[in-house]
Amino acid sequence: MSKPKQKMYPRFRVMARIEHIILLTSFTVLAITGLPQKYATASFSQSMISFMGGISQVRVIHRYAAFLLVLGSVYHLFTIGFRWYVKGERMRILPELQDGRDIIDMLRYNLGLIQHHPKMPKFNFGEKIEYWAVIWGTAIMVITGFMLWNPIAITSYLPGQIIPAAKTAHGGEALLAVLSIVIWHFYNVLIKTRNFSMFTGNLPHDQMEEEHALELERLEAGGEPFPGLHLRAEKTRKRIYFFVTVGAGILIFVVLVWLFTFEETAITTLPAVTREVFVPLATAVP
Amino acid sequence: MKQFNRACRFALGTGGIWVLFLVLGGLLAFSSTQTYAAADSPDQVILGTSAENRAASLLLLSFQGPGTNSHPATDFACTSCHSDTTAVIEFPSGETISVQVDLTVLALSAHGNQSESPLACTDCHQTINDYQFPHTPLDSADLRAYQVAQAATCERCHQQTHITSHPGDDAAMPVTCTDCHGSHDVHTAEAWDSAEAVDRCVNCHVKEEVELNQADQLLPLIRSGLFTDEPNSDYCLACHSQPDRVKTFPNGDMVSLTIDKDAFHASVHGLNNSWQPLECNDCHQNHIFPHQPTETESARDFTIAMNSACQDCHVQFFDKAMDSVHGAALQDGNTDAAVCTDCHGAHDTPVPGVPRSAISHTCEKCHSTIFNEYAESVHGSALLEEDNPDVPTCIDCHGVHDIHDPTTAQARERSPELCAKCHADYELMTKYEISTNVFDSYVSDFHGTTVMLFQNEGSDVPPNTAVCYDCHGVHNIKSPSDPDAGIQQNLIETCRQCHPDAQPNFAGAWLSHYTPSLQNYPVIFLVDLFYKIVIPLTLGFFSLMVGTDIYRRVRMRLRKNKA
Repeated sequence: MSKPKQKMYPRFRVMARIEHIILLTSFTVLAITGLPQKYATASFSQSMISFMGGISQVRVIHRYAAFLLVLGSVYHLFTIGFRWYVKGERMRILPELQDGRDIIDMLRYNLGLIQHHPKMPKFNFGEKIEYWAVIWGTAIMVITGFMLWNPIAITSYLPGQIIPAAKTAHGGEALLAVLSIVIWHFYNVLIKTRNFSMFTGNLPHDQMEEEHALELERLEAGGEPFPGLHLRAEKTRKRIYFFVTVGAGILIFVVLVWLFTFEETAITTLPAVTREVFVPLATAVP
Repeated sequence: MKQFNRACRFALGTGGIWVLFLVLGGLLAFSSTQTYAAADSPDQVILGTSAENRAASLLLLSFQGPGTNSHPATDFACTSCHSDTTAVIEFPSGETISVQVDLTVLALSAHGNQSESPLACTDCHQTINDYQFPHTPLDSADLRAYQVAQAATCERCHQQTHITSHPGDDAAMPVTCTDCHGSHDVHTAEAWDSAEAVDRCVNCHVKEEVELNQADQLLPLIRSGLFTDEPNSDYCLACHSQPDRVKTFPNGDMVSLTIDKDAFHASVHGLNNSWQPLECNDCHQNHIFPHQPTETESARDFTIAMNSACQDCHVQFFDKAMDSVHGAALQDGNTDAAVCTDCHGAHDTPVPGVPRSAISHTCEKCHSTIFNEYAESVHGSALLEEDNPDVPTCIDCHGVHDIHDPTTAQARERSPELCAKCHADYELMTKYEISTNVFDSYVSDFHGTTVMLFQNEGSDVPPNTAVCYDCHGVHNIKSPSDPDAGIQQNLIETCRQCHPDAQPNFAGAWLSHYTPSLQNYPVIFLVDLFYKIVIPLTLGFFSLMVGTDIYRRVRMRLRKNKA
């Protein structure tokens, strides 16, 4: 049963798609290397850790993935800056009261209480929840992860208890994030429908109609996919922003590398201890 | 005629005197019998019985010496004087011999009145002139000459049944039958235990240090059953229980050959225990007398060579010990390495582990400095001062025979479980009000988690995260709250062993084996509580949305299919 080729509507620019790939990669690696550490006594975890080359290697992989996640986060901040400063775009991801109504309407529709699917904007409530959950989660994970990575630096300023508290939060947040992705994200983009707009950048008409009816109407009415202010100074701003970004990017990268490497938390190899074990008591000669 | 009459008168007259003598003699004999019959001490009862038997035996035996018939009760006469007297005979040499005979011993001897071949006194002491009463003086010049002469009477009944290497009675140093077999206390060969027999040998050859002049002839005699089929411990101990016997090895090592007989029999291998008693030659298999020279250069080499003897019975422990650090060191040529007898003792092997402190004192013999640390520890002091049954001795951590190298990565990785063996045992720990949560709390901490993962991987690299003993100490473990050496006093210093840059607050990152609660570490408790609420709520919301969505889709598809 081949469907007629549908009209595709632009949904994500390259920047967002790169961000998604960075997030996808780092998140997956972090989850695979992190959860077995959280549930280290489970035999399945131990098999996974062994498979990945042992706990020491798993921790190294986890930290590289964390670095990638932080880089991705910085990149995301830069893209936000670009859209706000250069393009003059409105942040359509911000939650609104209408999202709450959409949730209720969606529930009523699912239960058959109303006959029409709520019409939703460019980012529907589900996507907004996911986005802000990622923002919140990444912030928590980066902060607590940094604490766990550099406990000596942290406890120079904060009480010691903060470290195990960070560990608890890191584990709890990880579990929340992974289960949310599995239940919510995977259902919405892989099971309910196959939505690959994060890779292709486009979404076909019927999915647009179901999930982003308002956006579809706006695009059909000739609206721009990514409406901005079209500032006259856009080119200048673009140039300025490029240099600022490159400069700040290099600086931030250097600072990040330093942040990730400055602390020698513990000695890496045990000091060799030698002692004479054969020290016999004096015994009488016959 | 007149002469005949005189002869008759003389005969009658002297005959009257003879009759008088006979009557007096009979009365004397009767009165002495009456005396014994009236007595009630056991010895004398035996004597009374023996008198009847002996009278009968005299008739059975073929010793028909003159006067026997006229002296039917010779033994009565002999024993009446020789049983209870302090009299002695003095030889011309000045030596003396008691004339007393222990009648009880005599009665129980091979020639006693209850034996198969009872003898009367005069059966042996029958040189008539000497033993008619009153006795004539002995013609022996000294005691030895008397013993030699007297022993010759044995050969009247006994052919010499065994040839010993002993010179005969004409040699310069004669050995007589009675020297070995005894005189009045003579036993049958069957009744003789070898210990007693060997004691006789020892009397001369060990105590008097008379050298064996034909030692090579002795072994076949022993093997042919002179004393015993298998030389038993008593046989060996006859010599080896003598004091001050020392063997010198080629390298000059001197080793005492004196075995404490009582200690041996009290040992696990001795007779005073219910276990399998061992004879000397069960272990010393090539040491049948006369001994061959030992092939080992030093005393230590001898000990090591002898060690394999234990294997015959204790192969299971022996193999473990050979696989241990001690066995490995020994195989590497370290002769200091402990072998079985170094710990268990050779001849005085006690029941292992009684008292428990004996275990650690055993290890102390070679590991004295470690023992001294242990003795100061919370475990060691309880063991040594209170004989506490719960604290670990050396072997509880290190193992008994299969002692493994405690410095390997594996040993480090498994060490927390070693401590947990006791410290996670609720019944054991309640007695001392120690938390049993220490292991679980350790494993849930970063350090413990890491060590458990290293252990699971069987890593050959020792984990650099702390195990129990890194903080609490190895042999010198003190109570954490010990005012002098407890780690609570200055925890950060303990942390700094591995975290040299740690600041004072850093120590607070370690939960001191507590499980977070509102009282202890509330921040962690609250964070945990937060996620315990937020995770189900969030997932519940997602599940609600997903569930209703599936419900709608299924409903719509069904409706479409119907249409």
